[in-house]
Amino acid sequence: MLDTIFFYVFALLTIGGAIATITRRSAMHSALSLIVSLLGVAGLYLLQKAEFLFAVQIVLYIGGIMVLFLFVIMLVNLDQAAKERQFNRQWLLGLVASVLVGAQMVWMLNSAGVLSLPAAVPAPAATGPGNIEALADLLFREYLLPFEVASLLLLVAIVGSVMMAKKTS
Amino acid sequence: MTLLDIVLFLPLVAFIVILALPKTLSRTLALATSMGIFIVSLGLLAPFLGKPTSAVSFETNLIWIQSPAIRYHISLDGLGLWLLLLSTMLTPLCVLISWNYITDRVKEYYAFLLLLEFGVIGVFVSMDLFLFYVFWEVTLVPMYFLIGIWGHDRRIYATVKFFLYTMAGSVLMLAAILYLYSRAGTFDYPMILQLLSSGRLQLTAAEQLPLFLAFFIAFAIKVPLFPLHTWLPDAHVEAPTAGSVMLASVMLKMGTYGIVRFCLPMFGNAAHQCAPVIIALAIIGIIYGALVALVQPNMKKLVAYSSVSHLGFVVLGIFTFTQQGMDGAVYQMLNHGISTGALFMLVGFLYERNHSLEIKSYGGVANVAPVLSVIFMVTTLASIGLPVLNNFVGEFLVLQGAAIVSWKYAALAGLGVIFSACYMLWLYQRAFFGEAGEGVRHHITDINKRELLAIAPLVILMVWMGTGTSLFLKPITAVNAQILEQSKINVEYQVKAPPAPSAEPAPATTAAVVEVARAR
Amino acid sequence: MNQFYTPTDHFSLLPALLLALFGCAILMLDFFVLPHPRQKRWLIFFALLGEFFAGLALYRQYRFLEDQSIPALRAFSDGLIIDGFSIFFNAIFVAAAVLVAIISYRYLEVEGEHHGEFYGLILLAQCGMYFLASGTELVTIFIGIELMAVTFYILVGFLRSDRRSNEAAMKYLLLGAFSSGFLAYGFSLLYAITGSTRLPKIAAELAQRPATDPLLLLAIVTTLVGLLFKVGAAPFHMWAPDAYEGAPTPVTAYLSVASKAASVAVLVRLFLGTLAPHRINWEPMLAVAVVLSLTIGNFSALSQTNLKRLLAFSSISHAGYILLGLIAGNRTGLTGICIYLFVYTFMNTGAFLVLISLRQKGMTGDDIDDLNGLIHRSPGHALLMALFLLSLGGIPPTAGFIAKYYIFLSLVETGHYALAITAALFVAVSIYYYFRIVRAMFLNEAGQLLPALPGWGARVGFAVTALATLAIGLYPEPIIRFAGTSLLR
Repeated sequence: MLDTIFFYVFALLTIGGAIATITRRSAMHSALSLIVSLLGVAGLYLLQKAEFLFAVQIVLYIGGIMVLFLFVIMLVNLDQAAKERQFNRQWLLGLVASVLVGAQMVWMLNSAGVLSLPAAVPAPAATGPGNIEALADLLFREYLLPFEVASLLLLVAIVGSVMMAKKTS
Repeated sequence: MTLLDIVLFLPLVAFIVILALPKTLSRTLALATSMGIFIVSLGLLAPFLGKPTSAVSFETNLIWIQSPAIRYHISLDGLGLWLLLLSTMLTPLCVLISWNYITDRVKEYYAFLLLLEFGVIGVFVSMDLFLFYVFWEVTLVPMYFLIGIWGHDRRIYATVKFFLYTMAGSVLMLAAILYLYSRAGTFDYPMILQLLSSGRLQLTAAEQLPLFLAFFIAFAIKVPLFPLHTWLPDAHVEAPTAGSVMLASVMLKMGTYGIVRFCLPMFGNAAHQCAPVIIALAIIGIIYGALVALVQPNMKKLVAYSSVSHLGFVVLGIFTFTQQGMDGAVYQMLNHGISTGALFMLVGFLYERNHSLEIKSYGGVANVAPVLSVIFMVTTLASIGLPVLNNFVGEFLVLQGAAIVSWKYAALAGLGVIFSACYMLWLYQRAFFGEAGEGVRHHITDINKRELLAIAPLVILMVWMGTGTSLFLKPITAVNAQILEQSKINVEYQVKAPPAPSAEPAPATTAAVVEVARAR
Repeated sequence: MNQFYTPTDHFSLLPALLLALFGCAILMLDFFVLPHPRQKRWLIFFALLGEFFAGLALYRQYRFLEDQSIPALRAFSDGLIIDGFSIFFNAIFVAAAVLVAIISYRYLEVEGEHHGEFYGLILLAQCGMYFLASGTELVTIFIGIELMAVTFYILVGFLRSDRRSNEAAMKYLLLGAFSSGFLAYGFSLLYAITGSTRLPKIAAELAQRPATDPLLLLAIVTTLVGLLFKVGAAPFHMWAPDAYEGAPTPVTAYLSVASKAASVAVLVRLFLGTLAPHRINWEPMLAVAVVLSLTIGNFSALSQTNLKRLLAFSSISHAGYILLGLIAGNRTGLTGICIYLFVYTFMNTGAFLVLISLRQKGMTGDDIDDLNGLIHRSPGHALLMALFLLSLGGIPPTAGFIAKYYIFLSLVETGHYALAITAALFVAVSIYYYFRIVRAMFLNEAGQLLPALPGWGARVGFAVTALATLAIGLYPEPIIRFAGTSLLR
């Protein structure tokens, strides 16, 4: 019961935040609304007992990326842009297209029998190591190699961005 | 290592030496080495002289690439012998006629000439299909440069056209060679023939026709058979004299040689099937070439179109499938090489003096250059097939062969002979008789010693081959007889009921079959 | 799974470890020890040292397989495999990286962008390629692809003051990210279907699935699209001409040779190994891609005036030829792919090397017209270029012919006659544009460029590439045998 209430709260946060993100005129407000929306998603992850994703969502998206967004918004002068008309004239076309895609998805899922799901089974009680431990086990044992190589990838990306950003002498 | 290996690789060595040494030496070096090669190559005559043998000599058979087995397999028989000697003889002559004409980038010029000789010799002696293809392509590159660098004004257009035509044909041939390999399990040509004749490798009609066409079109472009001839006049007109000579005398023969050597024995069935069409094209080529030659204002173009006509005779002779026709065709290959080569040389001499190829800028040359005129006359007469001179023998044999098949063929082809007399004699009349004009009197001098040295061997051969025919023809006849026999073997398969395929496990796709054949 | 990082793991990872080590070390040396621009060229030797050790480690792997006479060594619980195939491809990468390292410094100095990072990045990109050739686990392969791709995004945009280079990097980055998305999607679908990311397990699972499975079909399509993009095959080739043209020429060479080879390695491993039972699904798609590559590559190359662009389109068509071997898919085809890539490494790098030597201050030497009359100015360069172009065109007796021959042979053996004939005819088309360059060099009147001034690196590069192009053409036996031992099994 409590789960259900939480679910709807988080879902509302997610959808409400998303709607606010695209309707607010001020870029700052949009960004803050996006944070709310992402927070809602994080909550949903937690409900699914995906603690790791929950943590990543908060640390990475809300903590890292969103702060970057805010920095950029504050650094770049957006006052001018805020005054301009925000929607372009193709919203009708966009609406039709998204409805069509949505309908198609529903139809596909339906024909694949996904919509008629079996009755929800309560998640098994957590036994043994939790989600994060299992993930760590996977990452540092099964996927040790790609995990380590990914660090190289990040290094290269950093070198690249530094190089690109460095002033040309 | 046989004498043939030496003859084959000497030009390559010469090519490298010429490139390596300074260019002041190039000319002398090229002459010395090419003369040397010719003299050494005369040694190849030994097993063949006057003997009617179809046996091969100077065979070398080494593995070049292990798997799939590609062999360095070369040998010589009566068919390749004369063409090889023709090439080795013409190369020093080409060096001679280029002696003063080529002043620009001398080193590269002579190097390419010898590389061309290497490729051409390789084509005539390769007994491995893959090796044959390699040499076939190798000849393209030096010729591309010979025309492209030292040619006349529109040389780039001509050389690109030449290259693309030949290349387009030869890649199809490569595809066919690979298909044959996948069926026979070997590239080795004698082996394939053995498999075919023993019935271990049977090409169905549906296979033979495309294979035959792939080979034939590649060769026909080179010959060139009407209507694939359009590259030829451009290439000839734009090429430097030596390029024209090599092109006409040797490279065109690669096409007809290929037809005789590969198309007939391997795909006798399809060859017989296509013969009427090909004969028709050949006859059209004979008459068309002659008629177009008749109206050419440009001497070199005239000679080029006469080549189309003459080579029509060769193709006609081959596809009569008679001993006479084949002998005539092969003989005609040599004759054309000599007489047309000589004609190109003579036209080149005139061009060097007067810097014009237009017939109308000549006239009365006989007055100022008597010796040159006499030689030109002899060559003209040889070219139109006067008895006692070489072309007569070849054309006569071809016509005889054609008549055996159908008198109509002979009559139509005979028309070509008459036309050839018309255009050649008319050319001679316009260029050499009459009043000598201003330009001619100023510029034309008689033939000099170097030029005489270059053309004399050809004139001698014209007479010799016209009179001492049997010496040259004997080895050819023997080989032709064998080839005819092979092409018939194949035909009989079609006539008889095809052997049941289930009698033996899928023939010839595996190396095991090759082993069996080898054991036999 | 109990052992954590076994000696076998270490042994199989060693070349990549060394490459990463030296790559990072170069980045640091560049910063701390050799900050002066004149000192940067010492980093080349350091990079070469890294390549030497990596090569040594590869050789040890090779010897190990030979001595134990085992076909393959698996490590990281089926995450990596050391077999003849991986060793062969890694040898190609080593060759390409060494060549690129020694030919770059003069070019970069002329461009005024001689930074030490360049050599570090080359090694790190090669490290990514290592996982493409040896990886048998989807995540490893994917990370490897990304490592290689991200490095190349940087390398392509290495000339920061050059707008073309920036634009090229941008385009390559955007389209590359797009294709990586496809690939990730395809890989995740494969995981979804089979429940594993390890290729042997995936293969076992897939073998039991019907070929008509729509999910599988979707997985194959997306994976194929992602990889074809990396290979530079049509219709996913749009990035190639711009990236090739804008990138620094040594990077273009590296991109066209090593990156292509690495992606082909993955294609081969996935499609001839794991997805082989579902050939019926992917063969038609691949055939379409091949025909498109040949058509678009060759016909577009006909009208190019920029040499790098021309070579870019020609490399699209070469991708087509290479993929033909995949369609044939038999032993000969696989050998053909290996030989083709090996030969391509040398002949294509050689061709780019000529362009690099022509690069001077204030003169790019990228246009065909810039080569006019090169035979007068630098006859050696003209002859070398002619050799490389003949080889690219596939004219005997150069190495390129042997490569094409194997591909054609494999097609004929497996009965793909129509494809064989199409491919053969396109050889004639390609000859036309290669010979346009030859024509410019030999037949056209001299242009105004100064003669080329090759440095020691270019000299060594020329010697190696030309020798390989000729020697493989004349005596291909050793390389055929080497490729033969490398077959997947």
